[in-house]
Amino acid sequence: MKPVGSSRSRGLLLSLAALVCVLLMLGLPFGIIALWSVSDGWFPPSLLPDGFTARHWLMFLNDPSLRSAVVNSLVITFVVTLATMIIAMPTAWALARYTFPLKKVVEVFVLAPLIVPGIVVAVGLGRVFLKLDLAYTMLGVIIIQVAGVLPMTIRILASGFEAIPSDLIAAARTLGANRIAVVRHILVPLSVPAMLAAGLLSFIGSFEEFERTFIVGAPIVHTLTTRLYINLSGAGLVVPVASVVCLILLLPVFLVFMLTSRIMRDDVMAAGMGKL
Amino acid sequence: MRAVHLLLLLLPGVGVLLATFGLPLFWAVLGAFGLGADGAGFTLIPLTDIFAEPKYRKGLMMSLYYAIAPTTLTLFVAIPLALMLQKSFIGRKLLNGLYKLPLAVPAIVAAFMVLTLFEQGGFIDRLLMLGGWNIGKIVRDPLGIGVILATLWKDVPFMTLIIAGAFGAIPSDTVHAARSLGATRLRAFWAVQLPLAMPGITAATLLCFVKSLGNFAAPSLLGPAYPLPLSILMYDSYRDGDWMAIYAMGTVLILAAFVVLAAYYTLTAAAFGTGKAASSR
Repeated sequence: MKPVGSSRSRGLLLSLAALVCVLLMLGLPFGIIALWSVSDGWFPPSLLPDGFTARHWLMFLNDPSLRSAVVNSLVITFVVTLATMIIAMPTAWALARYTFPLKKVVEVFVLAPLIVPGIVVAVGLGRVFLKLDLAYTMLGVIIIQVAGVLPMTIRILASGFEAIPSDLIAAARTLGANRIAVVRHILVPLSVPAMLAAGLLSFIGSFEEFERTFIVGAPIVHTLTTRLYINLSGAGLVVPVASVVCLILLLPVFLVFMLTSRIMRDDVMAAGMGKL
Repeated sequence: MRAVHLLLLLLPGVGVLLATFGLPLFWAVLGAFGLGADGAGFTLIPLTDIFAEPKYRKGLMMSLYYAIAPTTLTLFVAIPLALMLQKSFIGRKLLNGLYKLPLAVPAIVAAFMVLTLFEQGGFIDRLLMLGGWNIGKIVRDPLGIGVILATLWKDVPFMTLIIAGAFGAIPSDTVHAARSLGATRLRAFWAVQLPLAMPGITAATLLCFVKSLGNFAAPSLLGPAYPLPLSILMYDSYRDGDWMAIYAMGTVLILAAFVVLAAYYTLTAAAFGTGKAASSR
């Protein structure tokens, strides 16, 4: 037998070290940003702000362009998540439950966008949008974001649908359940984890999206991420203002993340992505 | 009847991807050869220009560097972390919930964090000042350390999630069997766990690599002003309407992705040949 005591204390030490590391990696950057957002002057070499103020937050409330970026972000994310799920579900179902000639080709095509850098697709599609007058419109941004999150959504949904045992459906049918009952009592409940994972992924994917939105939408349609980029890349970078935008950007994502992580299963998402 | 049914099911997803991915990409690749709506007849000049002009050639190198360096580093952090998450220990639940947080954080916010922490006069610099040290140039430095830090911060949780899933899917019996047959812990990892988890590791590597290859925000905010990666050069050309250059850069970037991925597959197939065969879908 191994000396249990020593291996346990070593394990404890290791897990403690890992926890401290993770807390430091997360807490430090978020903490600094939070401090910056309420700082009233913070010059080197002081480790804490010289004074505190709510000025930067109030400024945000009075900035119509920033407010419209918040609204744009929320509307776009909501529409993109919904549209992606509606578009992805039938296709994922077909890929999971049907066998047909050229199935492999369709599967590879659905995953192909994942091995092409997003910016290449974005400028290609941006060119098409310029011709169709879709560039610099909300609709254009929504379409290009859907295109971005669709492959992964289909993949995760398909691997979720694949996991539903056919026997169960057959059994229910022989026991007299009609199609609607099968959908209601078997298909929907068993697909919930995969749908949740796919929905969360497209929500986050859309809300944090920057490159495609920037190419198709900016400078007319701004979301929070493109707005933050303008703040950061401009000549006069005002750290407190950028910090406020950052925190506003983080709030909804974290909320959704926290809410869903309680009911979400890691294995569903990992299984979907691990089978490329 | 069944065929119609099937086509109707496939149509939304495949149709949207054809319109938003297949066609634009097809036109872009055609355009790189001077064909299509924006072209003036077949030519190889835009493509050869990429390798002839230092701006583009160095841009390609920079793109590959920004993609390969963080992905490789991430692997070395994510695999041990994923292994650790397989064990039960005090605080595992907390760790398991916390480490995923960066997945939800936009890449630009990560870039901003690197700015506030590591720039000269940033928080880490101020901390070091207490001890009389200087941080040196980490942001906008020639080696792009700031870019790599921001990319790592986003990629480690992403890779860990997928790789932990892959390790978790291995039946624990197989590892126990290897151990009871006399394999050391290291050997059990190397000969059993790693090959069996290889599909997940490959998927994670591929996704991180491709994402970083087209990375725009971090290099433009944290990277050196020269050489710029192809992603930024593409954006500049897009604003100028220089379509030939964009299409050529895009095509080269796709080719580069294929070459690197092919090399990766060859290497891992050589190292874990059995694992790949066992894992094919």
